Amino acid sequence: MTIGLTLALVAVSLLTGVAYKLFHGRGHRVLGAALVDLAKLKVHKNGDPVTEFGAKATLVLFSTKYCGQCPAVRRALAKLAHRHGSLLFIEADITDRLDLAAHFNITQTPTIFVLNHRGEIRYRVGGTPKTNTIETELAKLGAL
Amino acid sequence: MTSTGHIDPRGPRFGAAITSVLSLIAFVLSLEEARLAYITVVVLGILFAWSIISPGTHPYSLVFKKFVRPSLKPPKELEDPRPPRFAQQVGLSFALLGIVGGLFSPVLVSVAAAFIFLASFLNAYFGLCLGCQMYLVIRRLGIIR
Repeated sequence: MTIGLTLALVAVSLLTGVAYKLFHGRGHRVLGAALVDLAKLKVHKNGDPVTEFGAKATLVLFSTKYCGQCPAVRRALAKLAHRHGSLLFIEADITDRLDLAAHFNITQTPTIFVLNHRGEIRYRVGGTPKTNTIETELAKLGAL
Repeated sequence: MTSTGHIDPRGPRFGAAITSVLSLIAFVLSLEEARLAYITVVVLGILFAWSIISPGTHPYSLVFKKFVRPSLKPPKELEDPRPPRFAQQVGLSFALLGIVGGLFSPVLVSVAAAFIFLASFLNAYFGLCLGCQMYLVIRRLGIIR
């Protein structure tokens, strides 16, 4: 009895961990054409308010001040945008903007949205994206 | 990077590894030797409370700084201490469930030990901090600010 229950507990924990490793940061396509409203997002880039989407695609990183993995993700996405002119990278700090978190149903940071040229959400990733997931989606939108 | 008050994220994971061993022992004992299990859960509760009240003097933290960190590479990122501290509060609330509930029903000691094991195991070996994940959701619900 003791051994059985203990093994069951360890097995459940192990499976949860493996499932987390498999699915975390994988992302999924967003169906429908949910739009991001830049006027409501109110993000700034280099001191100026952002009013236009990227020519081919826009990456939105939702971060918080206490998010441990956000700086690394920010660097990776900024590098991508730096290399590709038709791609815009913006970041929305939701530490004090829980209304945004509720509106987009964000439950963890980092969360990344891939928007098309019209600002429609095509793809979203919760957590640190797995290698190449973002690149694959951007390639579909012709932004790479 | 400004690192005022920021911590090496491997510190909490190191602590979680020890907690996972202690809580698994507590779980096994709770099925065999209720008194010892109860004492172990009380110890876990004290350790959780300690890390909330004075993280700098916590024994895990001292061992990590003195013996573990010197043999590791410098951390890639430092981390804000708020989510892990919140996770410790979640741990404490489960320990309290075992401590208070255990007075009435020994099953609750097993339940508390099992949850503490699950959370600390995932944090230590998979880098999944359940309490940290809950932090934004719970703030959204307006339970904490």
